[in-house]
This record gives sequence, structure tokens and C-alpha cells, in this order.
Amino acid sequence: MEEIIKVDSLTKFFANEEALDGLDLSIHSREIFGFLGPSGAGKTTTIKLLTGQLLPTSGSATVFGVPVKEVNSPQHLKKIGVMSDNSGLYERLSIYENLKLYCELYQVTTDRIREVLEMVNLIGEEKKMISKLSKGMRQRVVLARTFLHKPNLLFLDEPTAALDPVNSEQIHRGLRELNQNGTTIFLTTHDMREAETLCDRIAFLNNGEVQLMGPPKELQRQYSNGNIRLELKNGHEVEVQNNKEGAQKVHEWMSSGELVRIQSHEPTLGEIFVDITGRKLI
Amino acid sequence: MNLSVKRINAIFQKDLKDISKNIFVLSTVLIPFLFAFLYGRQGDVPLEVQFLIINIAFTAVGAFVQSAVIAEEKEKNTLRGLMMSPATSSEILTGKSLLSAVLTVVTMIVCLSITNYVVTDPIMLLSMIIALIFFISLGTLVGLMTKSLMEASVVSVPIIFVFGMGRMFQELFQGNKLVMIFDYLPNVQLEMLASQITEGASFAESLPYLGTILAWTLISIIVTVIVYNKSTLDA
Repeated sequence: MEEIIKVDSLTKFFANEEALDGLDLSIHSREIFGFLGPSGAGKTTTIKLLTGQLLPTSGSATVFGVPVKEVNSPQHLKKIGVMSDNSGLYERLSIYENLKLYCELYQVTTDRIREVLEMVNLIGEEKKMISKLSKGMRQRVVLARTFLHKPNLLFLDEPTAALDPVNSEQIHRGLRELNQNGTTIFLTTHDMREAETLCDRIAFLNNGEVQLMGPPKELQRQYSNGNIRLELKNGHEVEVQNNKEGAQKVHEWMSSGELVRIQSHEPTLGEIFVDITGRKLI
Repeated sequence: MNLSVKRINAIFQKDLKDISKNIFVLSTVLIPFLFAFLYGRQGDVPLEVQFLIINIAFTAVGAFVQSAVIAEEKEKNTLRGLMMSPATSSEILTGKSLLSAVLTVVTMIVCLSITNYVVTDPIMLLSMIIALIFFISLGTLVGLMTKSLMEASVVSVPIIFVFGMGRMFQELFQGNKLVMIFDYLPNVQLEMLASQITEGASFAESLPYLGTILAWTLISIIVTVIVYNKSTLDA
């Protein structure tokens, strides 16, 4: 598969403080890649470096084979969509007017507005002034604006951070739809469920370094202790090892009719992060 | 250099809608009208007063409105959105300058019709167009170098005093060497040029004034473009 983003030993210092320490990454076409880490881990810095909003201190990175220094040129920006923590909207204009401006800048027809509003669950709200919207609604307008030109590559900095579960699910559907149509997605998130259900691969970032990378299910299997969790009739939950002894216990409880539920026990991504870094993902 | 008229127009139309709801910025447009009404009622308006009104229109409308719209885009993080779109720097800067340019021209036409001043000399007209570009460029620079609309408003006050009313300070502090520098300001050069033209100056005699205004304009455009390009990167 075509390599869309290639990062080699990327380092970024702010004054004397290191924000990124020798980051290596390779993201392929049509991949949904999740960047996970606590606040200050370097996630937003990475997005800013990859979109040409910041210059690296050392190392190199390319997007579509172009060095990041040149990424913020108009011909490349046509292919990229960026939603960051500081994406602003025109407060005195309506949702429709905000999106119409970007339709003209990207030279797409205004018919697209309805499609993106549907993706972010804002149909019927287009006449509302931005100043009257809640934080979650504003975030959905920014997302709609990012989707307008059907970018080949999307950078999303915590896209569902301010959203309720229903709207988050709607955004996930929209992102999957874009991805199925060929958009590669690079997103940062604190939401482990989002990472598990949406991303093809994830990377844990801590103190500017990638600690672990891979498909979420594979990482969960890798860090699983292999135990099986059982729920018994008396309401107790017990864990047995996945071996001969464990099988005997399961057999006994099954025979006596004590067993209610049986499930494999895999660690959550949050638990894996704590396991490898000793820090919580907040 | 490819310029998309569609993109420039989109930014202009957006600014037009946005400013029509921005009372704070719109109220400054009234300042030159106020001066024009006050002096226009007194019959014959002397050339110095005509240029006081013209320069106040340049600073309070051209430079201030421009600095306000740019500073607000920065404050609300919407300038970053424009920069991350396929619009080029030239398209963004031209689109963002059109509103202040149109507002300044309309304000000036109305004000000068109140004070009965007609610009017929082509050199004078050309100089005024170049001066308009200078003031808009100055406003852009102030907007880019400040962090908020409020900060831009504070920085614009001395600009309005120096570039709008510089001639009045010269008269107040006559003989002061520092104030002699004011002679080379574009607004003062513009007034001097008008005075020379009224006295029948030739094209060659007008050129030094035109050249000085042009030099100010070119320098301000170069500095503005450098600062704009720097602002495409986060600090």
C-alpha cells in the first residue's frame, strides 16, 4: 500500500523543552491511524509538524512524498483536511455561511454542504448563528468544514472530545464512510473506545516518544494474560487460567449448573498504556 | 502568480456580511463623516482641512478597519483556517483588503462631496490610490502583529494621530527637529503634493512626492508579506 506519511527521527524542541523525541512513523493509504497519549505527550505538535504549521528541530517527515516544509502550499492543501484544537469559526455568521465560504475556497459546489451536515448530524440547523451554538455543535461544524472537499488525508485532533455518545457515533460513521471512499485518517484521541472501534492501527505516545504501535486487537491480545473470566450463579466473578486446571474448574461449574457467563479477559487500551508507561491516559 | 477571483470574492463577501454585524468596527467609519459635517458647514474648506479629513479616512477606515478584521481573524483562530485552505497568500491578503479599500473609497467620496473637494489631477488621483494601498498594508501589519481586536484598537490610536493628524502636530510643535520628520510621512507628502498641484506644479515637480508615497507603500507591502509568511507558522 502507498505510504502517505513517513516520519524519520522527528524531534521538536520548544525553547529547551522537548516535545517530540525521535518520532518514527509510517502511515499508509486508506488507513485510520490513532495517536493516543496523555495531555502534553506531543500529539498536537505532531499534527502541526505534519501539516506545516510548525518546523521540526531535526529529523524529516513527508506527506504525499512532499517534505512537510512544503505541505502548506495550496496544491497540497487541496488534498488535506485539518481539524485542530484551535480551528475557529466566524461567530457572526451562520453555519451555512461559514461552510459556503469554504466551498468557494475549495471550489466545491454548495450541494456538498447538505451532505457534510448530514455526516455531523446538523441537518436543519444551517441557519443558526455560530455564536448561539454549544461547544459540541461548534465542533461538529468544524468537522463538517474539514470534510467538505473530501480530502485524501484528514488530520483530526480529538474529533469527538466535546461530543455526546450519539453524536460521536454519527461522526464515526461519517469517518468510516470517508475512509471507505479513500480518505486516510490520522487522529489523536483520549477515547479508548474510539481508538478500539475506529482505528486500524494505534500508537501510544508518551513524553514525545512512541511506546507501542500496532492494530488495537493485536495489542490487546499481546498484553492479555490469557485468563478467562467467569460469572457464577451466586453473582461472583472469577478468573481462571487458560490451561488444563482452568478447564477442569470450568467443567465442574458447568456440570453443576453454576456457570452463567464465560468470556475472555483482554486488557483495555487504557490498561495497556498504564502497564507500559506507568501513567494514566488523561 | 495565479489569483482566483472567486476565492478573493468569497473572502470579501464573507467580510462584508461579518462587518455589517460588527458595530464596534463600523462606528469608526463615522469619524471622517463627523469631521466632514463639522467643517463642511463652514463654507469654503481650506486644503489643509480637506486633507485632514482625507487622512482621517485613510487611517480610521483604511488602516483601522483593516487591522481590526485581521486581528479578529487571529483572535478567533479563523485566519489559520484560511491559511490551511488552498487559497494563496495573495488571495487571502487581497480578499481581506478589499472590504477596507471599498469602505475607504466610499467614505472619502461622501466626505469630499460634503466638503466640496474634487480630485481631477491624474497624479493626485494616482497618489491617493497608492496612499490607500499604504494605509491598508499598514492596517494589515498592525492586525498581524497584534493578538486581539482590542490590542489592534489600542495600537491604532497613535497611528491615527501620526498619520491622520500629523500636520496638526507639526504646527503645534513648530521648530522641533523631531517633528520635521513628519514632512516625509505619506499623509503629509500627499497634502504637500495637493498644494503644489493647486499652485500649478509640473509633472516633474510632483514626482518626488509621488516617489516618497510609493516608497512608503512598497516598504510596507514587503514588511507585511514577510510578517504574514512568518505567521503561517505557529510560534
